Amino acid sequence: MSAETGAGTDATDTGSSPASSIDTESVRAVAKKDFQDAVRSWLFWGLSAFFFTLMAALAGFLSWANPDNLTTISFIALVSQVGKLIIPLIALLLGWKAIAGEREAGSIKILLSLPHSRKDVLLGKLLGRTAVLSLSLLIGFLIAMVAVVFAVSEFSFPAYIAFLAMTIVYGLAYMSIAVSLSSLTRSTTMAGAAMFGVFVLFYIVWNSIRTALGLLMQRGYIEGVSYTTTNFAGQQIETTRLPDWALFIDMIDPGNAYQNTVTLFSSLSSDRIGTSFNEAAFPDGLPFFLQDWFSLLILLFWIVVPLAVALYRFDRVDI
Amino acid sequence: MPAITVDELTKRFGQTVALEALSFQVEDGEVFGFLGPNGAGKSTTINVLLDFVRPTSGSANVLGMDAQRQSREIRRRTGVLPEGVELYDRLTARQHLEFVIDSKDAADDPEALLERVGLADAIDRKAGGYSKGMAQRLMLAMALVGEPDLLILDEPSTGLDPNGAREMREIVREENERGATVFFSSHIMEQVETVCDRVGILRDGQMVAVDSVEGLRSSVDGGTTLQVTVDRIDDDALQAVRSLPDVTDATVESQAPPTVVVTVDGSKTAVLSVLEDRGIEIRDFETTEASLDDVFQSYTTDTETEVHAQ
Repeated sequence: MSAETGAGTDATDTGSSPASSIDTESVRAVAKKDFQDAVRSWLFWGLSAFFFTLMAALAGFLSWANPDNLTTISFIALVSQVGKLIIPLIALLLGWKAIAGEREAGSIKILLSLPHSRKDVLLGKLLGRTAVLSLSLLIGFLIAMVAVVFAVSEFSFPAYIAFLAMTIVYGLAYMSIAVSLSSLTRSTTMAGAAMFGVFVLFYIVWNSIRTALGLLMQRGYIEGVSYTTTNFAGQQIETTRLPDWALFIDMIDPGNAYQNTVTLFSSLSSDRIGTSFNEAAFPDGLPFFLQDWFSLLILLFWIVVPLAVALYRFDRVDI
Repeated sequence: MPAITVDELTKRFGQTVALEALSFQVEDGEVFGFLGPNGAGKSTTINVLLDFVRPTSGSANVLGMDAQRQSREIRRRTGVLPEGVELYDRLTARQHLEFVIDSKDAADDPEALLERVGLADAIDRKAGGYSKGMAQRLMLAMALVGEPDLLILDEPSTGLDPNGAREMREIVREENERGATVFFSSHIMEQVETVCDRVGILRDGQMVAVDSVEGLRSSVDGGTTLQVTVDRIDDDALQAVRSLPDVTDATVESQAPPTVVVTVDGSKTAVLSVLEDRGIEIRDFETTEASLDDVFQSYTTDTETEVHAQ
């Protein structure tokens, strides 16, 4: 349903609600306004500086600690560990007030008294905020590239850009969670509590789940999978790993999914990093849902599902 | 075709009833004053018209379209000045207007709009530093974008000084002359009486009166108060005055000198002649027209004053 079909649709309008449709022009207008607004905040410039400092400092430190064999991919593998922890915090920080803040200030009425549907507003907000995060990542990464080029022994521009792109996708996933939750709450207090809940869930609860599953396996409540592998001393040893489903639970965490996807573009560089699972542990081959490409789907899941819930729900509430 | 038709509209928030079977119409091309004390349900009504809240039952129709299903098209042709809204602190007046122009696919000039509302010199200043009055002027300018067929102004005088309020009413008049229907909510009678063709008074979620300003004035007993100072007064004479068809009330206000206060709808001379017929000497008399504020008060507060149903 586009702007052009708005007029004179009375006859064809049966049951479906054009008021809750998505209009790309509206989404663009809302996203542009939101971007204009957010890009003027100290948060944006602070973030850009932060990303630059982070990348440059890590590059400097790693080249000092490991001067000979620091490759682009090994640099990325290490930076992704830091990014895994920092990107969610930044996305939640940028996104938590996206809708709840406008509802609290009443300015949501400015947006919604214009010919924008609530879905337009939600999508526009998500795109606007993601654009802010992406731009600050872009600025930080590109400026820091100078330091990285000098730090690594063999710089791979495609791998570096692919890493930036994947980091943006990871940011989008958390932004989707943040903006969606923000639209489901009436006040910034509730939105803030929801963001804290997300933080606790993925930083604390999810990590504990793996530990808990491991414990349950040791106690015999969960049947592990035994396999033979070669240890560092070259001896054959019998060991046990968690069953596939338990490993999958661990992979659902957006941060783990992000880290796994980093291996996807190791082919872009002459250098390779290992996949997340020890191949010896899966003599029959890695099930598809534990393969790295599946992690990309998990990231997409975290973008789409919170947004779908929010699109459905936000259309039905009183503002 | 009416610009707004509200039919048996009921809205409950949990146990609270905000609107109860509210029905009214706003005719095309008129300036309609939507009056009521705070909490009467004015904002809820406007929120339903703009699809911010969904009715519990009943329906609303704006510009011939269903307020819920065709809300986007309604809002394309409507300019809104919402109440109790903060602007975007980090954006300038120009950016606010550009966003609205962009959203409505209009071709207005931000400068010309700000000129009209008297905010042209603050065009490139961030809204975060605006006073309440300046913010209100900017929001009025935003409502004017795209020559809307309908203007919905929710408490537009909030934060404006008397001069600003007068300028705002002037713009309402201009927009109405251009052909726009104006739906203007307020809790202050005097702000609507000079511009509105008709006034609807809302109380506890129900429309208690809809009429022209003149009609409202005369609909209230106490339209005119007659104060007669006499040499003496007795019950008999008082009864005679009360029995007059146009008189709704007569009381003795003071004894030295005796003063009778008569609430009269029609002929004042009839009151005076009844008194004179009984040999009472009239020393002085004075009439007071009920102010519209009294009219408003009588509709929106629990007083003894009776109201003629419309």
